[in-house]
Amino acid sequence: MAFTKFYFSLISCFLATTSILANDDQIRFSRDVLPLLSDRCFHCHGPDETHREADLRLDLEASAVGREGSAAPILRHDAKHSEFIQRISSDDPDLKMPPPGSNRKSLSPKEVDTLKRWVQSGANWGKHWSFESPRRPVPPTTASHPIDAFIQRQLKNRQWKPAKPAEPATLIRRLSFDLNGLPPTWSQVSQFEANPTPAAYEKQVDQILNSPHFGERMAMWWLDAARYADTDGYQGDATRNNWPWRDWVVNAFNTNMPFDQFTIEQFAGDLLPNATAEQKLATSFHRHHMTNGEGGRHPEESRIDYVIDRVNTMGTVWLGLTLGCTQCHTHKFDPVSHQDYYSLFAFFNSIDEDGRAGGGAKPFLRYKSKQTGHLLREAEKAIDLRRVHEMQQLEAAKTDFLPWLKRQLISTQDGFKGWHVAKPSLVTSAEGTTLVIEPDGMVRATGLNPNQDEYRSRFSSEDLGNPGTHLRRVTGLRLEVFPHSTHTDGKLSRGRTGEFILTDVKLQVQKQGKSQVIDLEFSKAIADVEKKVAGRNYGKVNDTLDDDPRNGWTTETHDPLKSHVAIYALREPLILTKNDELIFVMLQRSTRGDANIGQFRISFSDQPGSAVRSLDPMPLERLAQAKPQSIPEIDAELKTVLLNQFLDDHDRYQASKAQLRQAKNQLSQLKKASGDLNVMVLSERSKPRQTHVLQRGVWDQKGETVSHRFPERIFNPKSMSSDNRLDLAKWLVHRKNPLTARVLANHLWQICLGEGLVRTPDDFGLQGEFPTHPDLLDWLAVELMENNWDIKHLLKVIVTSQTYRQSSAITAKLQEQDPDNRLIARASRYRLPSWMIRDAALRSSGLLNYQLGGPTVLPYQPDGIWAEMFMGRFRYQPSPGNLQFRRTIYAFWRRSAAPTFLFDSSQRRLCEVKPRRTNTPLHALTLLNDLSLLEASRALAKRSITENQQPQSRIPFLFRQVLSRDPTPDEQQLLVRQLELARSYYNSSPEQARQFLDFGQLENKVTNNHVEIAAYMIVANLVFNLDEAISRE
Amino acid sequence: MMDENLKRRIFLSRGAGLGLGAMAFQLIENRQLSADTQQPSASKLGKIQNVHHPAKAKNVIFLTQSGGPSQIELFDYKSGLEKWAGKEIPAEIRQGQRLTTMTANQKQLVMPARTSFKKYGDSGATIGEWLPHHAKIADELCFVKSMTTDQINHAPAMTKFLTGHQIPGRPSLGSWTSYGLGSENRDLPDYLVLISRMKRPSDQPLYDHYWGSGFLPSSFQGVKLRNSKNPVLYLEDPQGLPRSIRREMLDRMAELNRIRQEKTGDREIETRIKQYEMAWRMQTSIPELLDFSDEPKSTFDLYGVDSRRPGSYAANCIMARRLIERGVRFVQLFHPDWDHHSRLNSWCVARCQDTDQASAALVIDLKRRGLLDDTLVLWGGEFGRGVAGQGKWDSPEGGRDHHPRCFTMWMAGGGVKSGISYGKTDEFSFNVAENPVHVRDLHATVLHLLGIDHQRLTFRHQGLDFRLTGVEQARVVKEIIH
Repeated sequence: MAFTKFYFSLISCFLATTSILANDDQIRFSRDVLPLLSDRCFHCHGPDETHREADLRLDLEASAVGREGSAAPILRHDAKHSEFIQRISSDDPDLKMPPPGSNRKSLSPKEVDTLKRWVQSGANWGKHWSFESPRRPVPPTTASHPIDAFIQRQLKNRQWKPAKPAEPATLIRRLSFDLNGLPPTWSQVSQFEANPTPAAYEKQVDQILNSPHFGERMAMWWLDAARYADTDGYQGDATRNNWPWRDWVVNAFNTNMPFDQFTIEQFAGDLLPNATAEQKLATSFHRHHMTNGEGGRHPEESRIDYVIDRVNTMGTVWLGLTLGCTQCHTHKFDPVSHQDYYSLFAFFNSIDEDGRAGGGAKPFLRYKSKQTGHLLREAEKAIDLRRVHEMQQLEAAKTDFLPWLKRQLISTQDGFKGWHVAKPSLVTSAEGTTLVIEPDGMVRATGLNPNQDEYRSRFSSEDLGNPGTHLRRVTGLRLEVFPHSTHTDGKLSRGRTGEFILTDVKLQVQKQGKSQVIDLEFSKAIADVEKKVAGRNYGKVNDTLDDDPRNGWTTETHDPLKSHVAIYALREPLILTKNDELIFVMLQRSTRGDANIGQFRISFSDQPGSAVRSLDPMPLERLAQAKPQSIPEIDAELKTVLLNQFLDDHDRYQASKAQLRQAKNQLSQLKKASGDLNVMVLSERSKPRQTHVLQRGVWDQKGETVSHRFPERIFNPKSMSSDNRLDLAKWLVHRKNPLTARVLANHLWQICLGEGLVRTPDDFGLQGEFPTHPDLLDWLAVELMENNWDIKHLLKVIVTSQTYRQSSAITAKLQEQDPDNRLIARASRYRLPSWMIRDAALRSSGLLNYQLGGPTVLPYQPDGIWAEMFMGRFRYQPSPGNLQFRRTIYAFWRRSAAPTFLFDSSQRRLCEVKPRRTNTPLHALTLLNDLSLLEASRALAKRSITENQQPQSRIPFLFRQVLSRDPTPDEQQLLVRQLELARSYYNSSPEQARQFLDFGQLENKVTNNHVEIAAYMIVANLVFNLDEAISRE
Repeated sequence: MMDENLKRRIFLSRGAGLGLGAMAFQLIENRQLSADTQQPSASKLGKIQNVHHPAKAKNVIFLTQSGGPSQIELFDYKSGLEKWAGKEIPAEIRQGQRLTTMTANQKQLVMPARTSFKKYGDSGATIGEWLPHHAKIADELCFVKSMTTDQINHAPAMTKFLTGHQIPGRPSLGSWTSYGLGSENRDLPDYLVLISRMKRPSDQPLYDHYWGSGFLPSSFQGVKLRNSKNPVLYLEDPQGLPRSIRREMLDRMAELNRIRQEKTGDREIETRIKQYEMAWRMQTSIPELLDFSDEPKSTFDLYGVDSRRPGSYAANCIMARRLIERGVRFVQLFHPDWDHHSRLNSWCVARCQDTDQASAALVIDLKRRGLLDDTLVLWGGEFGRGVAGQGKWDSPEGGRDHHPRCFTMWMAGGGVKSGISYGKTDEFSFNVAENPVHVRDLHATVLHLLGIDHQRLTFRHQGLDFRLTGVEQARVVKEIIH
């Protein structure tokens, strides 16, 4: 049905498109023949000798083609007698090629016909198109811009015309996203709309290319290619300090460093004469691979992995070749042998590294960034604001203190008990111990004495505290362990030694009527005494919190004839309601066992914070004991203690204190980042390593030795030395290298038009796609090289073409006949990368922090992502203050848990050069509920109100900021309806409005006008989620 | 019949250009639509239009035990080990097996199993005493005792175990499945991941590439159901925003989007509208899924006391069954901390206690509900453990190092023979002695059970047709299939 039809129409379109490309009658070897040979024949009759059948090669002209009467399978001008043709057209399963049992697809009759015609016409041989050095083709004279001339030539074949030009606002918006990764400002748009001439457009292009945000946008492309991240990636996932390299990249693009130099410095900056620190820094490119510090891993195995990663990354980014295949065997399709691979490997094999990760990942460059000053000042500003806020909260809290103290004075007159013994309603043993509950709440073990056990005590909330006035909350738990005459020697257990080992405890609550229990988290445990031990062993009571049976609490070495006590503080108080059940589990599962507690008693407390983190008398116990008659009589020290206890319970004050702490933390992190850093870079070791071919790519399976050499059949200029990385870099950007310039031109095209001229930007080899416009690609490649590898120049050439400036609207005809836009009869419309969506929202709302460069920041992401993955070892605290709103390129990238607000992003594990564009409900949820977008919505709502006196101009203002155009009356009407609806809701529930606005940075807090702001925020959130807002049109 | 290669190219180009995810979800929508309009619907929803052969299993539950559980203590009983206790493993057994750098400098002295074994059920399966509940399902299980891999460290081995290759970047088994077969549920993702909530800081982080989609479109990646306020990231609307207003917003948004669609002609906008609708439905369907209050007490009794604790392995086992009931294709549980280099006596026991009852309960529960025939349950980790003791072989403190050459997995349901044990190791549980099952053979077998020919489920990336089982020959282990 709808989809099925769509699906099949797609296929027919594809067939149609294929025939568009193969429309002219002349058969081209590289376009029509070689892909078929490669896909169906080379697997067994290609370069890879280990899989070669019948000793036949079809990848070399000499062995494949011969004259009439020769033994060659292909006879020129004689399809009929060519065994090749006979075999591919045979019906006999024993003769037919590719063999029916193989995994190669059969050739279709049309394909067989193509090959027949090729043989008949003389079997002209050639190289794969991308292995011939590009020469500048002459553009047709039909259009003034060479790009348009090439594009329109193909359109003309189909009698198609280019689309009409895009509307000025759309065009400026497109340009700004493509080259700055940001939407234009409204003044940029209106300026251009007022005067949309070619000259004005060119001025816009220059302005956008010269904006510092150009470097940031291009760097985002380059960071994906470089698999850049801020952590190692494997076990431990240690943090790196390679971000100064990211600033080097931004700067290189902004200063328009020629791409050949850009390449040379990243491959071999350290080998340049009088290398500067920046040139050495550039080589960090080849250190962004993951590093594995897993215990037990052989460092040499890791090192080999890193060298392989470098070769493969170079293959993808510069050569557009899938060199990874040749790591294990000679390429099955492309002319790169196993030996060629390790000859390239040799260039990277003598880096002064030893395969270690984290702090051991030498070589390092001591480097101090110059781009931290402004960030330090912002961090200080964030502290100042939070300090003032904290003081205000403290003062506010203090006004409540005296009345509270007065109440305590009265309530403690008859004494005060901080701990309330709780009698369990039930105690069970997992292994069969009989547990007797005494009337005083004491629990005693009798009967069976298993080697290990688990005691599970249940308490009803009704039974906690004093009868009638049971506890309203629980903040801590006390466990007392007692000696008893029935125990071994009257000590603490019935085990052989009379000692006990408690390995772990758990406290859970089952709320009334709920089937599930909630795990409660303890923040800390302390005991009167514990055995002193080193490492993971039985001693410390705090080790009963980690669910690890290899450690735990014991009082061994202390008096076993006395009772002992441990207290556990809850991380957050548990509010009790009627008929809640508390479950306390004591695990006694030590390695040797035989140490189960003999007698114990549990108590609970409702006293806040410090009271349950110490064995000293609680503040209120001291107050009760001191028996002062009035407040002035209270000792000053005790009063301070009481104030602190009171503040422990004051949520608003605690929140402000936590915010201040985070801001201070941020500053100290930044200060560290401002000092000398160890950046991972390249440098050669004094004694070079011998390079071997690794059999099947296995790190310790060494085969023949090889030395530095360029792959013969790709490009091997005789005149060039191939001694080191510097030579390798020069080879890559050699004027005659057939691949680099094409691959780069294709990337730049992809940046501007969404898809490359070669739709497989990572594969220019035989299995990759043929360019949609081969002449254009070559023209661009030569243009690039002849203009000194000037990236801005080439981008300008592209974006000034009519092709780039067309409208992206799709007609039914184009949708039907060229849904993938291979002929570029229109501009493409597609969803922006997720990082651009975030940056755009920040800019449209006015929140964006425009500062360039410097250490990483932590944009909002949901709580607990890092903590879950590393079981608490890392915690994510979003950056406080204005640093929160830096561009996404500065976001800290933990490789094992990439920023959650990014979707369809590159994984930053291996090099990636092709954007992903999927469309899923998870993306919708992210855009609806991500805090960055919500805060942008709120900021935009506020601005819409404050910057527009006239209410009727507010929605158009908001709309323009996000979409760079005015709403149509229909659109305006729909949004007004939404606004009114939201307003009337929040009018009736102002508390909801207050809650809706209560989040985000202190700097942006809403203090008045809640209902109106909330209503506009709804509209802003809606507009930010419109398809148009997240699309490049 | 359409040319496979062509199909793949179309999918690839669509995936890159306009969103294969869009298509998958569109398909889901479409199915609903076709039911509504009584028109013939697409026969299958995923990449392959029809399964390659009749499927035995529709769904998979993969109980992944991360860290490398010891086959020697749990399943692979060796009666003769006692007499080798404390003696060096014979060289003809070791055959130069690599060690990790943790024990490379230590003598390889045999440490016999720390448990005793009994035979259970009609099948007489040998199961260690640390897994008493497994004993009850002995006759439901198919043990594969001859599993083997070639990676000896956790991250590469787990990456290989789940994606077929040791370097991250390939799609996981679940992603391939979801890509191949598509979804049966319109309100939930095809592939869900559940991770046990543990207190101990894990030595082996569970990287999201273990359930990643690699080069497949990201809509096929596993979605982690978290044990928190936001079980799926960004699921929860902000406070102060009532559902009624959200509904209105989505309606306005759809109207505005349709205006844009008319102007631009872009069909992807229609898909976007549908994705926002699905997001809205997920906001209801997922909390319902997580709320176990419709489970009777007998469920919790069956799965054990820990099953009342959300995020526990036991609760995740119940969740797995709930997901299967709702038509989710692939559910993967992870239970960390099986890396027992020391103190097997306490440490391994603790992980057994976390998982034993619930794993068994899941099989029993699925069977009772008639779901086991269609559901393949897999239990296992990335490698096994060595017969030599790490630390002192004769002290309770002893543990075991990683061992890639052999390990044990079990399977249940989904067309796999029950009450059998397949493959054998040598007398030291060191080398595979009979019928080796490499990780890639396991993958081929799982796909086979799902009706997929592993050689034909491919995706073109960087010029090559990639498949889960890679370039080396993989074997469907037909002997264990009904």
